[in-house]
Amino acid sequence: MNLTLPRFFWSEYRKRRKRTSLITFALFWGTLSILLLMAFGQGMTTQFRVAFSGLGETLIMVYGGQTSLPYEGLPKGRQISLFPEDVDYLKDRIPEILRIAPESYGYLPVSAEGKEINRTVHGTTAEFGLMRTQVPQLGGRFINPDDVTEGRKVAFIGWKVATDLFGSADAVGRTIVVNRVPFTVVGVLQKKIQDSMYQGPDADQIYLPFHAFRQLDNRRRINQIHIQPREASQSLLIESRVKTLLGRKYRFDPADRYATSFWNTIEDAKEGQAIFKGIEIFLGIIGALTLLIGAVGVTNLMYAAAKERTKEIGVKLAIGARRRTIVGQFFLETVFVFAKGTFWGFVAAFNIVHLIRLAPINYESFGIEAYLLRPEFSLRIFVAYVAVLSVLCFLSGIFPALRASRANPIESLRYE
Amino acid sequence: MIELEDITKVYRTGSQALEALRNVSVRIGRGEFVSVMGPSGSGKSTLMNIIGCLDTPTAGTYLLDGDKVAGLSFDELAAVRNRKIGFVFQNFNLLPYATAWENVELPMLFDGKNGKARRQRVTELLNAVGLFDWREHRPSELSGGQQQRISLARALANDPPILLADEPTGNLDSKSGEEIMAILTELWRGGRTIVMVTHNDHIAAHSERIIRLFDGQVQD
Repeated sequence: MNLTLPRFFWSEYRKRRKRTSLITFALFWGTLSILLLMAFGQGMTTQFRVAFSGLGETLIMVYGGQTSLPYEGLPKGRQISLFPEDVDYLKDRIPEILRIAPESYGYLPVSAEGKEINRTVHGTTAEFGLMRTQVPQLGGRFINPDDVTEGRKVAFIGWKVATDLFGSADAVGRTIVVNRVPFTVVGVLQKKIQDSMYQGPDADQIYLPFHAFRQLDNRRRINQIHIQPREASQSLLIESRVKTLLGRKYRFDPADRYATSFWNTIEDAKEGQAIFKGIEIFLGIIGALTLLIGAVGVTNLMYAAAKERTKEIGVKLAIGARRRTIVGQFFLETVFVFAKGTFWGFVAAFNIVHLIRLAPINYESFGIEAYLLRPEFSLRIFVAYVAVLSVLCFLSGIFPALRASRANPIESLRYE
Repeated sequence: MIELEDITKVYRTGSQALEALRNVSVRIGRGEFVSVMGPSGSGKSTLMNIIGCLDTPTAGTYLLDGDKVAGLSFDELAAVRNRKIGFVFQNFNLLPYATAWENVELPMLFDGKNGKARRQRVTELLNAVGLFDWREHRPSELSGGQQQRISLARALANDPPILLADEPTGNLDSKSGEEIMAILTELWRGGRTIVMVTHNDHIAAHSERIIRLFDGQVQD
């Protein structure tokens, strides 16, 4: 391609570019708006996912309940409880289950080094840690399968429990006394944001191996069962199989909505993500409208330029410029104006996002700032922005350029 | 070289029609120096525009180098103007933002000539009109005579066989005017065809032949 003409157009543009400074600012502002709004939108979606995964991603929780329908001669109103053996019973019969763990808990006194507090203490298995995002801080671990089978007296504690009992000292290796039984701390939960919970945030919880916990709490039944499907799309299928199997075992109608209950985070997440996706698109549209104002400014500027430069166009036509040369020049000037404004807008947006992300998030009281302080860029945002920009740039450039190229050389030469 | 046969040009504005040229037949041979004279409104500019392929006749045929101009598209006409015809205007019509160098280079850019050829030709032309040292100046920084010499250099950029000069000395003092006429005469002696519109008999005296127009018709 012969780049000589574009280079000449560039040199002509440079001589006039002072006139474009206000428009450049409008484009700068539009770019900044669209990019920041999209980055905040995407950041909120991500933070929602992160916060939601604080509880656990692709997780189904099963609870017992009370029958509301008579079944096989049995009356309604019967209590349905879950028991430890239900875990293997379900796992053996539902191949779509990837992980499954029982959970029991009770509110118990916990003491260490002369301090005493009351906290919810849970008994569960190693798989629970993987499903419920129980990531240990450096130097620690979650409960492992041997802890469970051997009934070891070990504990995994939330970071707030660690602070409450041991201050800033390392809790791992120290002893806590739960209901007068000593346990060794093997891990402390790493800080995480968590917007969904039962029994309070994980930061305040204490986890013990399932059998060890049952020596403190002698109930036979368990509070709930956690299930992770192999594929997120199988969650509703697993729900219905669990209902059928438990219905057969405990003799209730699988269609009975109150005999068991489910907390299906996969379905919740879908709903939540749809809402955030909506917000993201809405913010993107507002940003695009802001950029549109800049684009209208460019169109206006180029129309004015086409009129103001009538004589120049006439001269160029007289000495042999073709229509496409004139169209090309006006179009390229539009691109130059756009490129300048949007480049600086891009740089500014990028830096602002970077600066905002430096702000710390308060994990103790997880609030609105956790959603707002983590805007982010992605290829998707970039592609969306470039698409909007290209359309606007083309539309703002093409009409003035066509108008300029339709000039009659004689009339243009006479124009003063 | 230039053959106009029964050329008529009618301008229409709303319901009114103005006949700018009526059955004009003109032949200008290769290497001729012809002046076109006549009072205002006699059709001089219209004739020049048609010869220069800036405008097309309403009726009649125009053969340039034996080729019919009538059927050419807008861009084909642009190519003819670019390569075969050089224009010199009364008010110079230089691009105000471009330097002397860039103004001279422009027709070659439109023709797609490469950088080396352009540099060589612009240098040659600016030296020929004595303004090489002024190459970085913009038109507003040059005198009228200098501007017209730049405009002449531009007209010659693609080495066209025909030069059309529309009152080339009209906006110049007599000394600058004489300089321009000297260059035009030189070019004519070099074999170029020159068609010049002028009001000035003294200027017209430089040419070999005068075509007189009155009310859109050629006077014998």
